[in-house]
Amino acid sequence: MKLNITIQPRFRIGLFPLTLLVFMGIAAFIALWRYIYGIGAISNLSNSYPWGFWVSFDLFTGIAISSGAFVIASLVYIFGLEQFRPLVRPTLVTALLGYVMEGMALLVELGQPHRIWYFLRYQNFTSFLLFIGLYVMIYIVVLTVEFAPAVFERLKWDKAAALLKRWMKPVVIFGAVISTLHQASLGSLLLIQPAKLHPLWWTPWIPPLFFVSAVAIGLAMTIFESSMTSRYFKRALETHLLEKLARGLPFVLGFYLVMRFVQLTLEGKLSLLFASGGMSLLFWAEILIGVLLPIVLFSFKRVRTSPGSLLTGALLTLAGMILNRFDVSWFAVKHYDPLTYAPAFMGKVTYFPSITEILVSVGIFSFGILAFGLAVKYLPVLEPEHHGAHAGD
Amino acid sequence: MTEIKHHAYLFDATRCIDCRACMVACSVENNIEMDKTRIWVSGVGVKGEFPNLQRATMVYHCMHCEHPDCMSACPVGAYSKRPDGPVVYNPEKCIGCRYCMNACPFGVPHFDYDKGIVEGAFIDKCTFCPQRIDVGEEPACVHTCPTDALEYGEREELLKKAHERIAAHPERYIQHVYGEFENGGTSYLIISHVPFEELGLPTLPEKPINEVSETAVGLTLPVALGWGAALTAVTVGVSLLKKKSAAEDEAEKKPEAEK
Repeated sequence: MKLNITIQPRFRIGLFPLTLLVFMGIAAFIALWRYIYGIGAISNLSNSYPWGFWVSFDLFTGIAISSGAFVIASLVYIFGLEQFRPLVRPTLVTALLGYVMEGMALLVELGQPHRIWYFLRYQNFTSFLLFIGLYVMIYIVVLTVEFAPAVFERLKWDKAAALLKRWMKPVVIFGAVISTLHQASLGSLLLIQPAKLHPLWWTPWIPPLFFVSAVAIGLAMTIFESSMTSRYFKRALETHLLEKLARGLPFVLGFYLVMRFVQLTLEGKLSLLFASGGMSLLFWAEILIGVLLPIVLFSFKRVRTSPGSLLTGALLTLAGMILNRFDVSWFAVKHYDPLTYAPAFMGKVTYFPSITEILVSVGIFSFGILAFGLAVKYLPVLEPEHHGAHAGD
Repeated sequence: MTEIKHHAYLFDATRCIDCRACMVACSVENNIEMDKTRIWVSGVGVKGEFPNLQRATMVYHCMHCEHPDCMSACPVGAYSKRPDGPVVYNPEKCIGCRYCMNACPFGVPHFDYDKGIVEGAFIDKCTFCPQRIDVGEEPACVHTCPTDALEYGEREELLKKAHERIAAHPERYIQHVYGEFENGGTSYLIISHVPFEELGLPTLPEKPINEVSETAVGLTLPVALGWGAALTAVTVGVSLLKKKSAAEDEAEKKPEAEK
């Protein structure tokens, strides 16, 4: 460490980071196993269920909870709401890690992980998955640029940091466009499955619905992640800021709710709301937990100003919205099974993830949490506790 | 043999005896591993009670759609549709994402779940035996079928044949040729004595199901440009407003400062 940086506080491995490291080790071992013996050796994925827990959790959930970055960055740089600036960097770190984690998951999930860059070599422009691959690559670069000033500050490269900050607005606009398209495109992956996705979820409105719910998830995730950092690092919670974000949530969620029901009405699917058995139940769980309850809760000032209730409300929103992602990509997908009378090799028609499959995702997630903790500890990510000198300007 | 402009299969479920010779012939012709196959027999098998038994089985493999959803979905363009019918998969481009398996409404492509990174895990599906049809021979499965349940030829002619056969025996067949219009048409045509669902075939609209997806993907660029322009406008507007109000504040403060 010849650079002029002192690592502070001193590097010690506590019990929590150690647990995370163990999970990462387990995941690495399972991944190695997969590279030798194939995806079937570590997962319950089959020819009937080619996409399962990994896609629902790593791709759909991972990208959704990364949406805080473009929401907060847009508030600050595009809408000029400077008061939210202290939240920009933590959300950037979350998103950057979320996207890197998604890349790591793909390296386990793809049949030919070494061809992951083929998105740049061959393109089929009718495929939403191509665009998603490109968005992930582009957005990782954008997020790195957006976060670079924090690293430059730490290294005391003040000129570079200042130069970058001057050009931040166009970068943020570009990032917001990519993010919007990416969040909407994730849902659009399902557009090609009208024969497989339950009609309560399959609709040409998926792209805008995904975008609006991603904004809600971004706000809720920012509240959640601020609460967690304040707990773990024993910092005061920026309640005054989170209160404002929470005030916005009922509007976003309300808009989502209206859109969802207008869509169902226009498509004549209202009768399905109570008539689809388990699917109706999932639908109402989404709406009640992820939309209605948070709208009611966050309408009370008392809830918005208490750290505990803020966290509860954010968790409810996240739970409901993540359930939506799982429904769309897994629970409500009925893989059509032509094999009522078939050779055994394709006979497996139910799907539930194996332990090893879940452990891979747990390991990758552990990496994310650990990296977030390290970034917060060693980089100027969080605002200095006493208001005054701004780290972000 | 006259040249075929659009290769197709015709399957007649009333003729299938579930002998599975087609599966063996396909595996031999294409050198398929022992525990894998590109053809499988679907359907409800034997139905009813003795002595009123009825067989309902179907030879199931790639439908060679006119508007293939696998091809629409594949991010790297590993699938292509030959102008003369077959839908072809190219493992050289495949990254193994399995989106084609999700996209295919028939559940046709299958994946090497048992292969590690060295051997490479690829998609496998019926190729329409190009090595045979390109030299004027029938595909292996058709060639071997002992009851002529599987036939091969020009799509137009097979369609005509199918309709003629249904018309000749209306009491025996369901009045529909599956694949004539399903999913925008397929090159695998099916006629049957039992409802097509019982053979394991999905009920699909006549419009290709990838239409919505492809329309939406076409909106990417306009949405990107529009959204970018809108956000830029907001950014410029907000910063102008801020400058204005800052200047006004300045103007208000100045007289005070001069005092």
